[in-house]
Amino acid sequence: MQKYRLAKLCFALSTGVLFSICTAPEAKTYPEYQAFVEKNSKRSINCAMCHVNENGPVGNGPGQLGSLNEEEMKQLNKARAALEPGSDAESPILNDFGNKIINAIGKKKFLEYKSAPEKLAPALGNENDMDEDGISDAQEYLDGTDPLNKFHGDPQKLFWINLIRYKSHVILTVIAVISINFGLLNLVKGFSSTQKK
Amino acid sequence: MSLNSILNSTFQFIKERFPVEKLNYHSMVEKKEVPVHKMSWGYYTGGLTMFFFMIQVITGLFLLFYYQPTVSEANVSVEYINKYVAGGSLIRNMHAWSSSCMIFCAVVHLLTAFAMKSFVKPREITWIAGVLLLFITFTFGFTGYLLPWNQIAVNATKVGLQSIEYIGEYLPGQLADIPRIIRETFQGEASVGQSTLGRFYALHVVILPLALSSLLGLHLISVQIHGMSQGVDKPAKKSEKFMSIFIFKDLSLWAFIFLCLFTVSLCVPFDSFLPYPLLAPFNPLGSTPAGIKPEWYFFFVYYPLELLPFWVILLASMAVVGVLIFTPWIFKGTSRKTLGFITILASLYLVVMTVFGEQIYELFKH
Repeated sequence: MQKYRLAKLCFALSTGVLFSICTAPEAKTYPEYQAFVEKNSKRSINCAMCHVNENGPVGNGPGQLGSLNEEEMKQLNKARAALEPGSDAESPILNDFGNKIINAIGKKKFLEYKSAPEKLAPALGNENDMDEDGISDAQEYLDGTDPLNKFHGDPQKLFWINLIRYKSHVILTVIAVISINFGLLNLVKGFSSTQKK
Repeated sequence: MSLNSILNSTFQFIKERFPVEKLNYHSMVEKKEVPVHKMSWGYYTGGLTMFFFMIQVITGLFLLFYYQPTVSEANVSVEYINKYVAGGSLIRNMHAWSSSCMIFCAVVHLLTAFAMKSFVKPREITWIAGVLLLFITFTFGFTGYLLPWNQIAVNATKVGLQSIEYIGEYLPGQLADIPRIIRETFQGEASVGQSTLGRFYALHVVILPLALSSLLGLHLISVQIHGMSQGVDKPAKKSEKFMSIFIFKDLSLWAFIFLCLFTVSLCVPFDSFLPYPLLAPFNPLGSTPAGIKPEWYFFFVYYPLELLPFWVILLASMAVVGVLIFTPWIFKGTSRKTLGFITILASLYLVVMTVFGEQIYELFKH
């Protein structure tokens, strides 16, 4: 009887394990988004815009599925189940921007926008700017620039944003350079007139 | 020709190019006058190039404090300079922007000096020193490009070094080995790695600055001894004193340019023009990302290389280098009008290839 119960338990356990392996969500990549960004911005991008690993989630490298430990797998499953916005999930295969997308719009909307990737930017809104470079994350997505690097953005936009941000530095430098130039010119003038004497 | 006559001619040649009697403050500075005519703006281009070199030296010295020339630390140290060192991103940006400005000004200076026929006797040595300075400036750009050790830096350098080795296919006999030896000397190992970084760092920080400074000294002494060239066919009716009017204007121009450079460096990170995958740290095990290309100042030879057979570009490059070095003798009797026309053609080629090279490449390839 005991042997029968043990066999039943083993069978149940192995079935359960097999079931969970077979039904575990597969790694999916969404090349539709990459194709849209590259076409829209005319800049090449890679998976590192949203993922930890520049080669995407599939593989055994850092930030890829094959390298996750048990704790990280739990986090991943929780993030994958975050169908609605505001879930506060932290997927270990996504970077801060990737997680921000999922938390802001939810996995369900994200999958819906696969067929219309241009809708992701308005859905994200213009309030978030994770790298604090003055260009919103949604705009950086459209421009194909790195939303997590404050030294990377559309050059023209960065110029105007930074010119306003650092206007006091520029004004002080103008005053300093004019003063130094005035001093140098008078020095040269004085030196020249001394030589004439 | 006897040895005596050769030595006499050489001595006479040097005496005419470096008249000892003019090596004094009065002749070189006080008495010096600068002609005023429609091409007078060209007289400022050389000083501007030197000004950008001074910026490079100062910003480069600051970067030296933090940059680590090892494959494991190079990229990290550059990121550290950008993110955590006070003023680090500004200094780094000034260095990057100023390098492009220096190369641009050096090319403009060459073109204006050519158009103004500033290479004729007794300024041949000034010209040759200037051409060598231009080559050194381009080498500065090539060696400096590798130092951040990111994807574009390493992969572009690999392509550049491989091009040197291709030259060997067109050389006869044992000469064919020379390009490979040159490449291995610069590379230091089987592929671009720590040895390459170390050698490029030594070149960029020590050897090239010493070479440039010595040649610059020769170039400047020669300019001061012989004064400004006439520049136009009819001698200018007006002239201004070098000390102090020309120097006033020069210093004012430098001040204005510095303000422009400072503002642009503060507001526009140089890296923002590149796609971010190319700025990632170099991964020797990963695939080469798309879009690897050299800096903009090599486009005039890079895109033709992509479109035409290698031997065509090799021959053309050798011809251009030869013409540049022997310009004082090749164009001795050429009129300024013809020189101006050649300069316009050369400038058009450089501008079109640099700005529209990629589009031309796409047009012909597809």
